[in-house]
Amino acid sequence: MDISSVFATQKFSAAKEILTPVAEPDVPKEALSKVQSFADALKATEETAVSAMAGQTDTAALVQAIAQTELAVETVVTVRDKVVQAYQEILRMPI
Amino acid sequence: MTDLSQSLTISSDGLRLQSQRLRHVSENVANADTPGYQRKLLSVKTTAFSLSDTQGPQAGRVILDQTPVQEIYDPAHPLADASGHYRGSNVDLVIEIADARAAQRAYEANLKMFQQAREMSGSLLELLRK
Repeated sequence: MDISSVFATQKFSAAKEILTPVAEPDVPKEALSKVQSFADALKATEETAVSAMAGQTDTAALVQAIAQTELAVETVVTVRDKVVQAYQEILRMPI
Repeated sequence: MTDLSQSLTISSDGLRLQSQRLRHVSENVANADTPGYQRKLLSVKTTAFSLSDTQGPQAGRVILDQTPVQEIYDPAHPLADASGHYRGSNVDLVIEIADARAAQRAYEANLKMFQQAREMSGSLLELLRK
């Protein structure tokens, strides 16, 4: 009985290193720059909307900015859904 | 995706150009009775088009129509000269209506292109969603 508990503790400490989550996930540089450009697009649209409300920009520019942001947001949402779906697929995998 | 988003930008440039054109047309119509008014024409900027970069139309300079203004006979008019004529505008309403209609049609065409680009990108993403 004692031997098996020592053995279990050893196994646990060995597995602990693998199971500890990595503090800094290494996100590819390209993904970061894409996220940055997405944030920039959102910001530009907000600025366009504000100046359109103030009457400084014409409506065509506002519509274009909003349509482009809609496109960007839809792309991001679709990709996220796909990633989440893949993750759930892995979770459901029988062990 | 960049191509579709570029076509959105180009269509919106076209929309802007046509709305500016309509603005000058309405200015001409409103000033049809203004003495000495010369109708305004919007020129489209000519740029050196290269095959690689895409760009929409840009409004160029506003030019004045050099057609001679009408001499209108009205001796009671404060601006009338010795023969009883005064200088009216050179606005022809028929031309202005045709110009307005052309601007409207071009605007509609650009709107359709805008819609088309949105639909195409939407259905592309729809493919990924399934």
